[in-house]
Amino acid sequence: MSNIFDMENNMSRLSFQEKMLWAQLLGIVAVVVFYGHFLVHSGPGHHYFHALLLVLLFLFATVRMFLRRRSGNVVEDERDRSIASIGARWSNIILWLGLVIILVLYWDRGSMRSANFLIGILFHLLVLAGSVRIIRELIAYRMSA
Amino acid sequence: MTAYLRNTIRELRAARSMTQQELADLIAVTRQTVNAIEGDKYSPSLEVAFRIAHVFAVPLEQVFQYIPPRPRLK
Repeated sequence: MSNIFDMENNMSRLSFQEKMLWAQLLGIVAVVVFYGHFLVHSGPGHHYFHALLLVLLFLFATVRMFLRRRSGNVVEDERDRSIASIGARWSNIILWLGLVIILVLYWDRGSMRSANFLIGILFHLLVLAGSVRIIRELIAYRMSA
Repeated sequence: MTAYLRNTIRELRAARSMTQQELADLIAVTRQTVNAIEGDKYSPSLEVAFRIAHVFAVPLEQVFQYIPPRPRLK
């Protein structure tokens, strides 16, 4: 009978989706730390950070797809979808608020400083929305674990 | 006015010496979801609830019990 309850006592075991969320969060934290370091130690006019983040996102998507195929028994069930929708809702709120702020800024300051500035703000907004989504999903997973 | 949904999945599993993973495989969800349902931390959809009852071959109300909220006294 003991083996029936062995697994449920071991709450530290995470689902595939949860592991992927942690990996994404760690990736974002690593990139943001690198970005901070990069901003301090580099001159203006360099945009390697954006390229680096895109490469990392591509790498992550590739690794995720590879792992999914390798472990063919990965199940995404209704709880995962429900949590994903909660994360998406939070992410959308951040995006909409950010877009409204950008529009207000744009309305107030005309052409703003440059197109690069606008792209930069949009980029950071996307990173912020993505981070909020991941953190909210992780909280939801832990709360219903 | 909080309503509760209780379940007897843990007892039903124990009676059949079934692990969470085995039940999860049978109803096509993750083990973590079975654990969340057992702990009353996640309310499954009607379909999953029926699947669970079907696996144990018992009526739905034997698996899930609804405890209605107490009406407030004025």
